[in-house]
Amino acid sequence: MKLFSTYNRVLLFTSIFGLLIIGYSFYHTLSHYLNKQIDSYLVEELLEVKDYTQKRKIFPAHEVFEDLVIDYKKITKIERKRNYADTVFFNPKKGIKESGRYLKEDVNLAGQNYSITIIASEIAHIDQVKSIFLVIILPVLGLLIIILLVNRYMMKRLWLPFRQLLLNLKSFNLNQEGNFEQVNTSILEFKELNDAIVDISQRVKSDYKEIKLFTENASHEMMTPIAIINSKLDMMLQSNEINEEQSQNLIDLYKATSKLTKLNQSLLLLVKIDNNLLRDKEYLNIKELVQGKMQYFQEFIQKKNIKIEQQLEDNYLSMSKYLADILLDNLIGNAIRHSQQNGLIKIELNEIKLCIKNSSEAEPLNPNNIFERFYKSPSSDGMGLGLAIVKQIAGLHQFDITYAYQDKLHIFCLTF
Amino acid sequence: MKILIIEDEELLRINIIAYLKAEGNVCDFAPTFESASQKIALYDYDCILLDLTLPDGDGLALLKEIKKLKKTDGIIIITARNSIDQRIEGLSLGADDYLIKPFHLSELGARIMAIVRRRTFNGNDLLMFNELTIDIQAKEVKVKGEPISLTRKEFDLLVYFVANKSKVISKSAAVTHIWGDNADMADSFDFIYTHIKNLRKKLLDAGSKDYFHSIYGVGYKFTDS
Repeated sequence: MKLFSTYNRVLLFTSIFGLLIIGYSFYHTLSHYLNKQIDSYLVEELLEVKDYTQKRKIFPAHEVFEDLVIDYKKITKIERKRNYADTVFFNPKKGIKESGRYLKEDVNLAGQNYSITIIASEIAHIDQVKSIFLVIILPVLGLLIIILLVNRYMMKRLWLPFRQLLLNLKSFNLNQEGNFEQVNTSILEFKELNDAIVDISQRVKSDYKEIKLFTENASHEMMTPIAIINSKLDMMLQSNEINEEQSQNLIDLYKATSKLTKLNQSLLLLVKIDNNLLRDKEYLNIKELVQGKMQYFQEFIQKKNIKIEQQLEDNYLSMSKYLADILLDNLIGNAIRHSQQNGLIKIELNEIKLCIKNSSEAEPLNPNNIFERFYKSPSSDGMGLGLAIVKQIAGLHQFDITYAYQDKLHIFCLTF
Repeated sequence: MKILIIEDEELLRINIIAYLKAEGNVCDFAPTFESASQKIALYDYDCILLDLTLPDGDGLALLKEIKKLKKTDGIIIITARNSIDQRIEGLSLGADDYLIKPFHLSELGARIMAIVRRRTFNGNDLLMFNELTIDIQAKEVKVKGEPISLTRKEFDLLVYFVANKSKVISKSAAVTHIWGDNADMADSFDFIYTHIKNLRKKLLDAGSKDYFHSIYGVGYKFTDS
């Protein structure tokens, strides 16, 4: 959930809850106060009734007066003390039932005991309460809405640098030149965040650079000793006293050094692609390159008696010839290497993509990690860098590389 | 041939010299930029092997120096730095070839021979070995004057072996020569065997002597003795 929504939800909830409580208590206080007013008015009326009988000797004073109804009931004994309550009564003057408030008291009037009920209409008071209530509550409600709107606007505005920061973070790429793009803001917290990110990005970048430099240098430094081993082996081979056992040792040593060389070259290549050092772009006809590769690999294809099905259309791409060669070498080489005897390889090339499919006795591969460095299927005797290089080259040219297993074929598709 | 080896790595230098000397070449060496610079100014060589990373200077600067002196020496850059840019720079500065470490000595031998031949024969590129005549440019092989038909790879192999005659060439070197970086393809050793078997048969059928000698499965030697 968005910060803003969470914040608003809390705000809205407390506002409504608070408004309800305030409204309720306000209404009650108001009604209580007004009831008291009516009550004192009712007492005044009662005093007036008493006054009329005692001083002016008028009895009963009056029964209906304005919004007032007075009821006299003869009783034998004075029992009831003064009490007030709400009621609904018939207003004879208006001819309707109204809500009102009454005062009941037993009094002695002109020597006779009476229970007097004075009922006053509450209508006017209720209207009063309503308007007072509305006058107070409506502006409060309006204020609340305004606060919510202002909040909404402010939140959006205040968090703008944060959003920008997030966008910049997302677009930040370790491999790209240029540092993390800073965000201009006057808000201290975001400034701190910004500075922290800038700091961390620089550190990560320099660390990353160092690691790449290290890989490059280490690989380079290893080349010379390998060159020495290789030349020593070549010299040993020239010796006339070489026997069969020594020859076998030499074969193994040659194989090991060639593997070491290949590993080193692959690592160096990865670093170079990472650093985007291979920028010799040219217009290449991929179809011709694929055909060239099939020629190049022909012995391997013939030896395994692999059936080749090709559907090639012209496709011109602007990319490094060197990398295109490696890309195709790896993909086609893999297909041949992993194809079984009398297997099948299908190559499809059109304007959108290049698909290389090969039959194999191997199980479907895990598409999640086959492109990882040093990952290799149990049946592979390679180093596990070929597909990592393919992925890297694809990424550099914004191609998409996917793996699928369908109809007993391992399928690698490159989408341009 | 007179060859100057500019290489600071002593062990590698010794091997290169030993290999090239056995072919009857005269080898001189320079382990530093300074000494190399002096030798280039003083003497003429058929071929100069130039390492780009010298302890006291950049090999490319040395290359510029050689060109400034208007020397016609053939130049092969040998370096561990396999960068396209550097390769292009080196070749555009006038180097004839670019060999990346590690390399097989037989590969180096073949490259040196190719360059020296190209420079001395000015395009009239005929390589002779007893009854064999190899026309590098026309990619034609004649046995006792009669042309025989070879595949591209067989032709390349033959030239490679003739360039390293009387030397044992490892299968590994031959594989790398033919398939380059993809030499690790399983079975590639078998293919070399097949190619050489076919090549040998074609030569023998055309009346050539048998010059290929297998050395315990590790390599071959092309020799008439």
